[in-house]
Amino acid sequence: MSGHSSAVGTVAGPGDDPNEFVFITPAEKSLKTGEFITYTVTVDGENRSVFARVTNRELIRGLPEGFLADPQVAPETVATTLGVPTDDTELYRLTATVIGYYNTDMTTFANPRQLPEPGTPLSIAPDRQLETVLPNLGCDTDSADVTDLDGIAHIGWLLNRSPEATNIHIPIEEFASTHLAILASTGSGKSYTASVLIEEMMGPGARASLLVFDPHGEYDTLAEMQGHETFKGEDGYEPGVVYYDPERLRVRISELEIGDVMAVLDNPSNRMQDRLSTAWRSMQRQESRTWGINELINEMEGIYGEDDASVGALEWRLRRSIERNDLFHPEDNVPLNDIVDPGQCTVLQMDTLDRRNQQLITTVLLRRMYRERLDAVRGRDSEIEHPIFALFEEGHRFAPASGDAPSLGIMRTITSEGRKFGFGLGIISQRPSKIDQDVLSQCGTQISMQIQNPNDQDAIKKSIEAAGEDVLRELPGLTPGQAVVSGDAMNTPALIQVRGRRTQHGAGSLPVIEKWRDAYEQQQREPTHSEAADFGGGESTGVQSLD
Amino acid sequence: MTESATDVVTPNLDSCVRIGSIVSSNSHLDYVVEILKGRDCDRPPELHEREFGQPVFIKKVVDGTEHAVMGVIYDTKLVDPDQGRTGPRLAQDDQAQFTPGYIEERTTLAGVALLGTAVITDNRSIADPTHRMPRWTLEVDDTVYHCPDEVALSFHTVDEQLQLAYLDRLVDIAGDLGSEVIVALIDRLRRMLPEDDPSQRTLDVVEQNIEWQARERRGVV
Repeated sequence: MSGHSSAVGTVAGPGDDPNEFVFITPAEKSLKTGEFITYTVTVDGENRSVFARVTNRELIRGLPEGFLADPQVAPETVATTLGVPTDDTELYRLTATVIGYYNTDMTTFANPRQLPEPGTPLSIAPDRQLETVLPNLGCDTDSADVTDLDGIAHIGWLLNRSPEATNIHIPIEEFASTHLAILASTGSGKSYTASVLIEEMMGPGARASLLVFDPHGEYDTLAEMQGHETFKGEDGYEPGVVYYDPERLRVRISELEIGDVMAVLDNPSNRMQDRLSTAWRSMQRQESRTWGINELINEMEGIYGEDDASVGALEWRLRRSIERNDLFHPEDNVPLNDIVDPGQCTVLQMDTLDRRNQQLITTVLLRRMYRERLDAVRGRDSEIEHPIFALFEEGHRFAPASGDAPSLGIMRTITSEGRKFGFGLGIISQRPSKIDQDVLSQCGTQISMQIQNPNDQDAIKKSIEAAGEDVLRELPGLTPGQAVVSGDAMNTPALIQVRGRRTQHGAGSLPVIEKWRDAYEQQQREPTHSEAADFGGGESTGVQSLD
Repeated sequence: MTESATDVVTPNLDSCVRIGSIVSSNSHLDYVVEILKGRDCDRPPELHEREFGQPVFIKKVVDGTEHAVMGVIYDTKLVDPDQGRTGPRLAQDDQAQFTPGYIEERTTLAGVALLGTAVITDNRSIADPTHRMPRWTLEVDDTVYHCPDEVALSFHTVDEQLQLAYLDRLVDIAGDLGSEVIVALIDRLRRMLPEDDPSQRTLDVVEQNIEWQARERRGVV
């Protein structure tokens, strides 16, 4: 802080909360709520810049409301008439909450446990300092050039400052290992923000191994990253983008667990369930991993006899639900080698699959990948030797709070234990209240955007520890493209404007009016319905009387 | 508003009606004026010329420049030294009441609060009005003149804008009748301004505020 010249306000005294203080600014020093300010305190004989966030602003001296009686008469005119000075008369009382000073040993904020003395000058925190200390970047000074760091994602800039003045870079490693949640209502920029993160993760600095579960086909513009100059590395690196369309998505029947099969069967009786689980376990003990429904039926008939009624009923159900579903195949499988690779972003397009199939393919894939990661970490042979990150669009489909989804179990396992095995999840959803609380609460980093539904706000409050009151208060007032970033990737929550994408955005709303018009014109060009043929012969009945 | 102020031919300050003379003061800004009666001068002020809320001025030469110290009648008081006196009264059939000597001592006093000052120009009108507190003290026997409305308007036009910047001081001096004297002044100004003058609305707002505050103080609202 450089003396009084840059001072924007003066501390008046402590506030209501232990970490709160009140300060006064004149009208021309317009400070927005959410702005970061600093003051200097001496901690252990060293001068430290303590950061604080402005949380409230109220007018304490201004023209009386009686002066506003007539909308046609400016209050200043009334004031001048009465000889009241109108220049800079307004005084504001602002409340700020102490965040702390940046402790270079702990590389996070430490609370000085003392409020500034009344009369302490306050200044606006410098951009560069904020860039260093707000995200959890682990810098050993409080004013480093963060763009030199590796493995950071430039997600946007502080909303209160001018565009690109204070850029926020969050550490990719942090959110990729402790999971990420992007929560926002429809149209406020969830997929846009996710795409910005994907772009950053696929850059030459990170070269992530990414898997996107895309139930709506919103990520097809990511392919532009291939061959795009910004994404090329000096060593010739170029990100790969692989699309897996629904036709190539296959689940090998032997990969299913008995619970998954039960989920797709039509209402099996207890006896059927018993028969099926016995046979399924015995099939899974076999060497061959490429068996189908026929082999399973044979096995059941072998155990219970060919005339068993339950086996007959099961056969019908199994053939209807599994054999006739193209998703299941006795042999074919999605090869893990194809879908995970460093520097590769695989988009699993599931837009033509129904919800149950989306859940099943997700369950099986997650289970296989988790097993491989487990093997890799335990030093066994593994198909996936590197950490992976999977992003779920419409996350509430795969880990719903109510109703059962076969994928819920594996999602819970990965969010609670995946960190140890280098398996990170990213959940994107517009209905936080519909996501399983265990899954949501394990997402260490949160990017929350505009959310107005009180249930959803409540879900965020309940499940996200880092979401303080000030974060929640901001949520209804955000506009699309603005977000609150909080959690493990940040030292303190910050309100940001998400940066522009380098690739085009493909998930915007449909241009409805345009489509209607086109469809109407199309219809006009086509021949209209033919007139009813007149077969002749009959006598005209003439104009019918209505009564 | 400024146009109208300049359009009007301001009356000659020397031909203004004399209202009375200063007899005492309660403070630097608060003077007591004895109203002239028929025997004191040729043309005593009419009742409406010395009414509540009437702007007045006192001429003062300060440092070679002639100034008008502007004021307003904010209170009046009747004085009868005979009142309450008991004792024999001389009366006869053709004269019901005979009170020799004292009859001329009945008088009307007016309280005048000072508002500001202006310079008296060579063409006997005022210029450079200011609503700051006058620094000069008036003297006993200083003559108080009736201030014509045109002069009052030009006194209230500061920097081409209508002003009543003395308002807070006037409320202090006038006390209970503070809001009434201001409303009376505003009425006077309003009559002088054209209907469509933007200042009319400003005056409305000021009046509303003053009246509201007075009603609040008096416990009406």
